[in-house]
Amino acid sequence: MEQPDQLIHAMKAGDEAAFSKLYGMYSEALFGIIYGIVGDREVAEEALQDAFVKIWNNSASYSPGKGRFFTWILNIARNTAIDKTRSKAFKNSRKNLSSTNFVDILASSDNLNKKTNAIGIKKYVDALKPACIKIIELLFFKGFTQADAAKELDIPLGTLKTRNRNCINELRAIVLG
Amino acid sequence: MSTEEIISSGKLELYVTGSLPANEAAEIAEAVRKDPVLQKEVDAIETSLIQLAGSVSPGVASTIWSKILNSIRPVRTLEERDTKSVNWAAISGWAAAVLAVGGIFWLFNTNKDLLDEIKLTTTENSDLREQLTETETRLAGSEEILNILRSKDYETILLPGNRDVAPEAFAKVYFDKTNKVAYIDSRGLPEATTTMVYQAWSLKLDPLTPTSMGLLDQANEVEEGIYKFENVPDPDAFGITLEPAGGSESPTLTQLYTLGTVSP
Repeated sequence: MEQPDQLIHAMKAGDEAAFSKLYGMYSEALFGIIYGIVGDREVAEEALQDAFVKIWNNSASYSPGKGRFFTWILNIARNTAIDKTRSKAFKNSRKNLSSTNFVDILASSDNLNKKTNAIGIKKYVDALKPACIKIIELLFFKGFTQADAAKELDIPLGTLKTRNRNCINELRAIVLG
Repeated sequence: MSTEEIISSGKLELYVTGSLPANEAAEIAEAVRKDPVLQKEVDAIETSLIQLAGSVSPGVASTIWSKILNSIRPVRTLEERDTKSVNWAAISGWAAAVLAVGGIFWLFNTNKDLLDEIKLTTTENSDLREQLTETETRLAGSEEILNILRSKDYETILLPGNRDVAPEAFAKVYFDKTNKVAYIDSRGLPEATTTMVYQAWSLKLDPLTPTSMGLLDQANEVEEGIYKFENVPDPDAFGITLEPAGGSESPTLTQLYTLGTVSP
């Protein structure tokens, strides 16, 4: 999918309809990221709402020359979700829950019933090596920098890059055929 | 770095997930912008990641979008103020309409009240006019009597009280011999009971012949306590007796209250 630069430009100019279309294109993915971080539907919905309000209010600060629009909104979504997990109320409610990753979430049958696409992805995820799961979880879902992820996984940066590329290539093969 | 080198470096994946340091990300952005092959590669990486993230989503509720709209709309105050000012015009228009209707109703009520007052005043006026007419009539009567009393045609005869019956009583007769008209002022007589009435008599003394002049009642009253009698024969004296209601043929002498003689 090519980046919808025209819609982005219109949204930056205050076009609500363009913003609505962008929401339709990206909200599901951002909700998946946010849900992967907070693990609670209600909190995730709040964070998604906050994230899109920030996207609208700060749209002037994004320019296509600096990077991908998806990368920009992905950062906003992750930061908003992480802020939610730092709130005292959230910590108290989550105290006794073990941490989960995107694979655990994907494994829950609820999601599979809703989206046919998710079934194919689940097959891919099932075949994923634990190393891939960890890398994608850290870099994509948690927003680690490459340096932090390499440190966390205790592998050289070069290995991290290659492994990450291989993992995403497998994903591409399933999603894009 | 060549296109192939960039692709195989794994930097594009890290570029999309936002994991590169700022300077490296800027380099990749520049390279991608210039190279359609890199653009396609980045598009494919991004799409697969969007799909993966979307598959993790538990499904975005349809209510979220309206909540976002509610959050972003108050920020756009200029447009809203414009529409609000239009609303104010409409509101003030309606307010004026309501006031006008209220005003018309108030005027209608006020007018009705005034009409009622005019009606009442008219009634009062006609009452006053009647009273005035009555007063004028009475004044005319009084003036007539005053003229009579002052006129040289009338002789005044005092009728003193009968010592045996009513020593304190008296009456006055004003008598016009020429026209045979007599007025009797009854102020000095005690009030008659409802069953009795005073009767006036003209008397010839030799021989004693009483002739009834009439009753001191409303039929002959011209002014309060003053009675007018016509066709009075030339008498020697006038007398007043108290008789049963309706009067008597001949005077009851035991009830003779006053008696006075006419001077020759």
